[in-house]
Amino acid sequence: MRKTPTKRDNGPAYLLLAPILILLTIFVVIPFFYALVVSFYDWSFYQESAFVGVRNYYLVLTDDLFLESVWTGLKFALMVVPAMLILAFLFANVVKNLSPRFSGFVKTSIYIPTIISGIVASVIFVFIYDYTAGLANYILGWFGMEPKAWLAEVGTALPSIAVPAVWLGFGLTALIMLSGLHDIPESYYEAAALEGAGTWAKMRHITIPLMRNVILYLLVTGFTAQISQFELSLVMTNGGPLSETVTPNLYILNHFRNDVMVGNSIAASLLLFVVLGSISAVIFRVLNSEKAVDG
Amino acid sequence: MHTLTRLQKSLIATISAVVTLVALFPLLWVVIAGFKERAEVLATPFRFFPKRWLVQNYTDILGDGTFLKSMAVTFGGAVLFAVLSLAVNSAAAYVFARLDFRFKRFLWVYVITTMFIPGMAILLTSFIVVNKMGMLDTLWVLVLPGVASAGHMFFIRQFYLNIPLALEEAALIDGAGRIKIFTAVFLPMSFPVFVIVGIGSYLGYWNSFVWPTMTITNPNLFQIMQYLYTFRSERATEMGMLMAGSALSALPTIILFLIFQKHIISGIKISGLK
Repeated sequence: MRKTPTKRDNGPAYLLLAPILILLTIFVVIPFFYALVVSFYDWSFYQESAFVGVRNYYLVLTDDLFLESVWTGLKFALMVVPAMLILAFLFANVVKNLSPRFSGFVKTSIYIPTIISGIVASVIFVFIYDYTAGLANYILGWFGMEPKAWLAEVGTALPSIAVPAVWLGFGLTALIMLSGLHDIPESYYEAAALEGAGTWAKMRHITIPLMRNVILYLLVTGFTAQISQFELSLVMTNGGPLSETVTPNLYILNHFRNDVMVGNSIAASLLLFVVLGSISAVIFRVLNSEKAVDG
Repeated sequence: MHTLTRLQKSLIATISAVVTLVALFPLLWVVIAGFKERAEVLATPFRFFPKRWLVQNYTDILGDGTFLKSMAVTFGGAVLFAVLSLAVNSAAAYVFARLDFRFKRFLWVYVITTMFIPGMAILLTSFIVVNKMGMLDTLWVLVLPGVASAGHMFFIRQFYLNIPLALEEAALIDGAGRIKIFTAVFLPMSFPVFVIVGIGSYLGYWNSFVWPTMTITNPNLFQIMQYLYTFRSERATEMGMLMAGSALSALPTIILFLIFQKHIISGIKISGLK
């Protein structure tokens, strides 16, 4: 941290820091410790709470529905993240070679889905998957295939929700990749070309190794973001069919909304916090304080 | 630059055009579906363009008082949210970037740690807190809880760390106070970072719906995503109106994005990651 050597500025510092400290304390720190306390209680809106030790954690970890939701979240992330990264990587390599004017248009266009809300995306895609009037079954028809109930069949529900997730995240991922590609000096490619390296060799020996950290960053942030996804399954399937599309956060949200006992779901959310929070903390450490990302 | 053959160039242009079209297709479709006749929206076989272009769905949703009110209330809230967020987080960013004070290290850790607490972990207890403060069903319950953001503060601080010390030294020598330097030297230079962080805050507010559905029951304060979510569950048969409403709800965001696109797109990078 940078220091100004001359004198301390306690007064102005505390004055300017007061708003952020007060707001974070009221709306983040207090709720967090409160959640921590509640997780050890048999607590509900309607009755006296009783201390139950780690029983909530035990119940959550032995609840098949919770474990299933974690598995669903993992499957979902494994569908979305690799597909998104590979598509974005390939497309970034294409856009890099475009003329500046056209690439400006392409960059703006692919970014637009990123700013669309999960609700609107869900509405659009429910419509695309509509059994009789949807685009998806219309395309199946071209190939002479029978229509599918995309969101109602156990086999297709989760992949069907993965598609809008890729759609929403593709643009930003591709643009981050593109900026990573622009950071690679053109002279590397020229030198390789002089030595007779082809497109594939350049990709393998220059692009991919130099993009390693960018890809790693996108992989980890993408993974934590997708495993936390719940809006799409909430609106598109409400977790169904059966509980095929219940992600961990949807499990927690459903318990908040439906149960009288909330200690369990708070325990679940804290367990998730430990896992996801430590992943983010590790990324933050790796990126170090001099390196920033936005989006 | 390595040179490409004509064939390669046209191949690259074609792929780009196709991917761009695929990315925009769902949005174009929802806009166009909004122009269909009520019965045609869910008609088989699938048709991309309406038989007859009707503005009925758009006029219906705009005529549905609550929709326009939700748009206006959400827009006002989002702007207020973005402005407050910039004020609170940039002030803290400046302090952590430049000032020296007691407990700096501790307060830095205190603020940064909040970045790793996921919203879902504190969703319910936050609700209890705002309930106890009597904030339910007010604009404040939508705006205040998210204003302070360690992530945004951190991002602005990175920007401030790159401003040369020389710029403020002249002002310091002239006897300007620390707060004066913040408002007179740092704020005027903050435009590039404020565009990115401000739009980010605006988007987060505009697109949120779980928190509004928990804390707002007064229809006069309905947020736009909450409105669409409720519309979908209560008036599921009126698909055309839902399409038109979804399309319109994305419009302010898209316009705002198009205005600032240059700053946003050029701001997307991971610096120092090689």
